[in-house]
Amino acid sequence: MGAINARPARIADWTSRSVGTIWRAFDLQIATYAVVLTLFGLAMAYSNSVAGGDGALATGSVFLRGLLWTSIALVVFVIATAFDYRWLKTLAWPLYALQVGLLLLTLAIGSGLGGSSRWISVLGLQFQFSELAKILMIIILANYLSARRGQMGSLWNIIGAIVLAGPPWVLVLLQPDLGTSLVFGAIVVGMLFMSGASLRWLGAGIMAVLAALPFVWTYVLLPYQKERLTSFLNPLADVRGAGYQLYQSQIAVGSGGWFGKGLTNSTQNQLDFLPVQTTDFVFAILAEELGFIGAMVVIGLFVALIWRVLVGGWRSKDPFGTMFAAGLGSMLVFQLFVNVGMVIGIMPITGIPLPFITHGGASLISVAAGLGILESINIRQGRAEW
Amino acid sequence: MSARTTGLAEQQAMPDRSPIRFLVFGLVVVLLSSILGVRLFMLQVANNVHFAALAETNRAVDQAVASTRGVIYDRNGLPLVSNVPSYTVKIRPADLPEDRRADVVARLAALLNLNPADINIAIDANPGSRFDLVRIATNVDENVANFISESQLDLPGVEVVVESRREYATGPLLSQVVGYTGPINESELAALRAEGYLPDDLLGKTGVEAEYEAQLRGTYGVEKVEKDATGRKLQVLQTVTPPVAGNSLDLTIDVQQQKYAQQALEWGMSTAGLKRGVVMVMNPQTGEILAMVTLPTYDNNAFAQGISSADYAKLVNDPNKPLTNHAISEQFPPGSTYKLVTGTGGLADGKISKTTQLITSAFLQLGATKFFDWNRKGFGACTILCGFAHSSDTFFFQVAAMLGIDRLAYWASQFGFGAKTGIDLPGEVPGSIPTNQWKLDTLGEPIYPGEVYQAGIGQGYDVVTPIQLINAYAALANGGTLYQPQLVRDVKDAAGKIVQPFAPKVLRKLDVPASVLETMRQAARNVVLVRHTYNLVDLPIVVAGKSGTAEFGLKDSQGRLPFHSWFVAFIPKDPTVTAKDPTGMAAVSRTDSDLVVLAFAYDSGTKGNVATEIVKYFLQLRFGITKDYRNFNLLVRGNFYQSN
Repeated sequence: MGAINARPARIADWTSRSVGTIWRAFDLQIATYAVVLTLFGLAMAYSNSVAGGDGALATGSVFLRGLLWTSIALVVFVIATAFDYRWLKTLAWPLYALQVGLLLLTLAIGSGLGGSSRWISVLGLQFQFSELAKILMIIILANYLSARRGQMGSLWNIIGAIVLAGPPWVLVLLQPDLGTSLVFGAIVVGMLFMSGASLRWLGAGIMAVLAALPFVWTYVLLPYQKERLTSFLNPLADVRGAGYQLYQSQIAVGSGGWFGKGLTNSTQNQLDFLPVQTTDFVFAILAEELGFIGAMVVIGLFVALIWRVLVGGWRSKDPFGTMFAAGLGSMLVFQLFVNVGMVIGIMPITGIPLPFITHGGASLISVAAGLGILESINIRQGRAEW
Repeated sequence: MSARTTGLAEQQAMPDRSPIRFLVFGLVVVLLSSILGVRLFMLQVANNVHFAALAETNRAVDQAVASTRGVIYDRNGLPLVSNVPSYTVKIRPADLPEDRRADVVARLAALLNLNPADINIAIDANPGSRFDLVRIATNVDENVANFISESQLDLPGVEVVVESRREYATGPLLSQVVGYTGPINESELAALRAEGYLPDDLLGKTGVEAEYEAQLRGTYGVEKVEKDATGRKLQVLQTVTPPVAGNSLDLTIDVQQQKYAQQALEWGMSTAGLKRGVVMVMNPQTGEILAMVTLPTYDNNAFAQGISSADYAKLVNDPNKPLTNHAISEQFPPGSTYKLVTGTGGLADGKISKTTQLITSAFLQLGATKFFDWNRKGFGACTILCGFAHSSDTFFFQVAAMLGIDRLAYWASQFGFGAKTGIDLPGEVPGSIPTNQWKLDTLGEPIYPGEVYQAGIGQGYDVVTPIQLINAYAALANGGTLYQPQLVRDVKDAAGKIVQPFAPKVLRKLDVPASVLETMRQAARNVVLVRHTYNLVDLPIVVAGKSGTAEFGLKDSQGRLPFHSWFVAFIPKDPTVTAKDPTGMAAVSRTDSDLVVLAFAYDSGTKGNVATEIVKYFLQLRFGITKDYRNFNLLVRGNFYQSN
């Protein structure tokens, strides 16, 4: 391990550059898009708290908790930006151990709905460590893949990445948290693709996964997961049962129109027609209250953010940075598409949160950490030569 | 870890990255977000109208608004029923998880002081769907109701609503007449759903409440209400159609006379140790029922408040059938009261005249069988006035034989026997009058002469209801018009305007000369004059009538049959006995009587005719006669057989 030896060089490198240089390298667009998206999330939290009837500022309201998590996320972002990302390469294996450990702990003592174990209470706040595990997964894979750059034509290196992702993936599936396990899959596929992995093997792998689906369907998925997965195909078949959320969610979105009903004016939310409106289905209320325009602004912000993440990856001279950006981008685009797709009825219900918008501290803090690390990568590179 | 940080020089070397893969990645992002955008556009812009309507449907549902049920008054405007607000506990089965049902039912039972079995029965008998509310308990104490409202978490699916409940001011006094309302059952709902009845509706179950359901109910309104996903009503958005209050009824019943009648019947029954009895009072000029008492009775408020299955079973299993209106729903042999039919028929068909004398004796013999008079000496040569007055069986055996069974049946049908009177109450039975054809049809053989004898004195196959009997005597008293008995004087709307005024309904004009009926009225007065009814003649008012002792059932060890006692009386309009008309014969010759009274004592077995004593007591109360003429000694019980 050469980490100790390398340290003085990095500090010298860091201190040798002026604050102005650092500031220019800092991607202000990423921070701006992230902050605006967070504000959208807070607006939805506010709307939801008002709908709850106790007022936005009532103790323990979704809005107050959102404010608290936002402040924490801001701090995490700043620390992650300031923190030299290169340490992550050094700490990759300990972080891997930390990831597996946290997931094991969640399995052991976690709590959740319907016999699942997804959350651990930290200081009275529920924290879903599988969210953090996504970022840790990106770090570990970025470290693995960047070390094998130029060698990704090899099947063994592809298998190595999959084996590395295996234990956390299984632990998440055991919770059971189908959504996070799918995000893990998207991260692995996206990063392998961007690492230059052989398309032949990648294609073969994807084919293999597709071939294994009947097996997974029969032996791995739980009945409620199957029900949720299939109900989107025909939500009207069981409007009062599994199709209920989807049906009500589409009513919410569809009734929004061009400009929406206005913040806090959702009837679907106010009257509790939409279950779990504070979590995975919050985008439905957003689309209902802010309309098509509001929904497209949010999607546009995501596209812009992912664009800037990819730009950061492109510019990074450190392959770790490129790989990290690929992983973060994969995660963001997958969660955006699956969550919004679920709300508007083109994707099955999988329990994947929409970053920034879905209320929940772990998701916000994890994304903040991811974006902070990307900024850390940005400011620690010279401008790439195009 | 092979990928450890290296020097600046290495970092500045071109990393291994593929522009094509970045491009592909970017295109995937653009493609996926475009799909989202297109789908959002389809939902939010292209199909906005459709979904906006669905959202509105979610929010606003049409809900029925119960109308105020009409009130019921007696003929003098005394309210017999009022609508009072009552806390009602209901369960929506769909919101009650099956695995918690036992627990919730047990908690509710304890809170409401109910039997858990009753709650389960109510849930299982729910005529609607699982999403419809089921009524569990009405008239719940306010504190209990509030506690249940606040215990939603422990009592999923349980709701407390305020609804209107019937409170019957007179209770047991008029239960069989007024009836009660109760929860709609499955078959009723199937029949009435199209008329807007709801699965948790209340409707008239019996009595006037059931007979006049359409009038009393009014028309339910419709309002748009905002509801949340649990079905909780948040606010009324719009009244689509306002409810129209039901119409009110003025009964023909006079509560004061009903009380007198009940008092008289209760006295007679308790003194003679009887189990069942009926007293009815009627205005023969119109067919209006002024009083209808049937004992034993029950409290209709128990039903309005939601009767427990144990209490209900007790009423149903009571051998004396308190839930049955014995005045209209049961038929009994009329005994000697039926001699009105035989006598009228004999006179009208010219078989006898007012002066025809028939020899009455101890018995008549047909082959080997002797048909005894109740009086084992007979009464010698008798006219109709004598035969009727003494209730001579052998006199009427002969008249019946002269008429034959079919003419006898014809005259019976003239008086309304063998057919429902059409009184405005549910559950009336028609009684039965034998004809030759009837006997051939039902028993496969012709009627025997002995059976004609029996039919002539109201025994054998003759069965009548008390309402038929009083109605027949009303026709006698009014000079030959058979009215349909009625319980409702008029129907008024909520504003008090009469929408259906009272009109007497004539069933038929009797096919009898007026003189014949006059003779029969005089014969009925003679019943009283010859002291066949003991000291009834001593009353300061003119009373005419006929008593009856009707055998039924099986002979006891001494060959005696149990018997019911009847007495039907009519009183002329100005009934005071005057010096000008000391016998009252002139008074009963008139057709202006406005009062007919009937008493029926089931399985009386008393020494004297208890029904006569009951009518006498009623008349004392009705006319304010302070001197007491009642013969307590006649009410000794012990199966004294005498056919009077």
